Amino acid sequence: MALAAMAGVMVMQFGLVYTQMEAVESHRSTTLLRGEAELLARMTPEHLEYVIRKRATDDMRLVISSAGLFDASHALITGDLRVWPRGLKADGKPHNIEIYPEEGAPYPLRLLAVTLSDGNILVLGRSFHLLAEQKLMLRHATFLAAVPTLLFALLLGMVLSHRALSRVKDMHEAIDLIMAGDIHERLPAGKERDDLERLAGSVNRMLDRLESLMDGMREVGNDIAHDLRTPLSRVRAKLERALSTGSAGDALEGAVARAVDELDQCLGIITALLRIAEIESSRRRAGFGTVNLVELIADVVDLYEPIAETEGIHLLTQAGLAPVNIDGDRHLLIELLVNLVDNAIKFTPEGGHVTVAVTRQGGKASLSVTDTGIGIVPEERQAVLSRFYRSDKSRHVPGSGLGLSLVSAIAQLHDATVLVGEGKNGLGTCFRVTFS
Amino acid sequence: MDDETTQNKRQEKEGMETDLAARGCVLLIEDDSTIAEEIVAELTGHGLQVMHRDTGDAGLTAALAGEADVMVVDRLLPGLDGLSVIETMRQRGIRTPVLVLSALSAVDDRVTGLKAGGDDYLTKPFAMEELLARVEALLRRPDDTRSTKLRVGPLEMDLIERRAWRGEREIELLPREFRLLEYLMRRPDQVLTRSMLLEDVWQYRFIPRTNLVDVHIGKLRRKVDAPGEEPLIKSIRGTGFQLCVSD
Repeated sequence: MALAAMAGVMVMQFGLVYTQMEAVESHRSTTLLRGEAELLARMTPEHLEYVIRKRATDDMRLVISSAGLFDASHALITGDLRVWPRGLKADGKPHNIEIYPEEGAPYPLRLLAVTLSDGNILVLGRSFHLLAEQKLMLRHATFLAAVPTLLFALLLGMVLSHRALSRVKDMHEAIDLIMAGDIHERLPAGKERDDLERLAGSVNRMLDRLESLMDGMREVGNDIAHDLRTPLSRVRAKLERALSTGSAGDALEGAVARAVDELDQCLGIITALLRIAEIESSRRRAGFGTVNLVELIADVVDLYEPIAETEGIHLLTQAGLAPVNIDGDRHLLIELLVNLVDNAIKFTPEGGHVTVAVTRQGGKASLSVTDTGIGIVPEERQAVLSRFYRSDKSRHVPGSGLGLSLVSAIAQLHDATVLVGEGKNGLGTCFRVTFS
Repeated sequence: MDDETTQNKRQEKEGMETDLAARGCVLLIEDDSTIAEEIVAELTGHGLQVMHRDTGDAGLTAALAGEADVMVVDRLLPGLDGLSVIETMRQRGIRTPVLVLSALSAVDDRVTGLKAGGDDYLTKPFAMEELLARVEALLRRPDDTRSTKLRVGPLEMDLIERRAWRGEREIELLPREFRLLEYLMRRPDQVLTRSMLLEDVWQYRFIPRTNLVDVHIGKLRRKVDAPGEEPLIKSIRGTGFQLCVSD
């Protein structure tokens, strides 16, 4: 394929050189013919006749291949052109005309005719044989050059492809190692000087990212194991004690009831984790439709008002009368808001305020839940959205520690961002979910 | 207080047994033998008759016989799966109410479960009281949902004017309290779990706090049961609530 392309390029090169040569030769022959005609026209008629008959000048032998002297009626006076060339005009300009000799094949000539002072016409012709010879020579040269060039290219190609193949083989071996479980292995990328090395570099960076994700998952796995182990060991201890002390009746019933509660907590954690995984992996937006955020906050506040009231917290809404519509999954958005409101109420002391607001700024709708609770220190603010994160201040408050990661997962599904900041006057916390 | 509730519970259990035994035949299609054993024990313990099948095909045959009053069907079964059983029997015109059990909790799974012809959906793991309450609810589904006036014991409700009375006394209710009381009045003497109330009254699932419903019920109870009046809204410990009007 590459060889064919190279051969093609060489043929084109040959064509180009030949066209150039043709142009140069055409120009040269015109100049020569004109010069010679001018020279001959100045001779006396007798001398001219002699020169033409005998070809008495050097130029007549070397430069001019045919010559003829005709009278005004195109009848031959002398010269080797037997008849007036068909279509020739005595206008002093060069014409390419086919000559039909009495014997042999017709051949082309570049002819020039000038009318002399005595009325006779001088015709000079130059053959193209020089051009034909040059063409032949050029063809030979091109061919002679082509064979070694192509052979060299072939050889070089083989060497290079062998080198590339051996590098690809190295990469295959590295990939095999990675697939066999050695995730720390990387492809040979060198200094990323060429495309292959740059590709290997990209693959390596992808592997780095995957490895860090896997580390993250392993961490989450450990967290899950730890979070489940604690309540499970408590259950175990309680049941064991109930058994060994031989308690009966109400005491045993109480121990079993508490054990069931603890197990429910474990199941709650598992359910929440599955739910987060389900939302995070869901790329489908089957449940999406138009959701009015103003209505949504009214519904959630309606649900939470009694509990806020019993805990002595003022639950307020801030929204305009006009609907603020976004494209989203109503059930999931309610879940998001319920988690934020629940969280805010949990961390706000009696007498505090929790404000749920909907705003639209510059075409972007946002939901916010602001409380006057214990607040989150700046360096922990984004971390609270990750799985199992419990700030030191909140350790004593019961909960799975997964509510906010659920919020984060639902926001991501809606292409929304969650910002954690401080509430009014630097007190409490503000969660703001902004939809794009 | 504790004693009183236990006593109440005992009374209710007895009431339920005599009530359900007459029409309570449950067809259980479940392949996990441990869970099936627990379910059979719980339901028979409350006076229900239970037929257990452990494959979809056997379950379908039993369902088509049409002897069951209510069915409890696991979604994942060897061979013919739970949803196909329900779809096939619905196509044959069997209208027996079905409670679908599933380990799949996704919203979509619930929707497909109900679309296939299920009447209620319960995600594993569940409390046995929850299962019992839902089976009972399916057995006594409110039949007349079109009437504009509800009358249960001393309670009366006008659905058009949105007003409610206990005897002569009018009860002032917030819209959410009205909806909750309406739901209770349509299901008198029935044990209603917290998640049933959340799903049916508020259409919410996955609510992080379990005492949320209790607070709502508490508010309603203070308005329905004035001091000195016989308490109508009772808490069933560990399960949910009940509007008691039968005695």
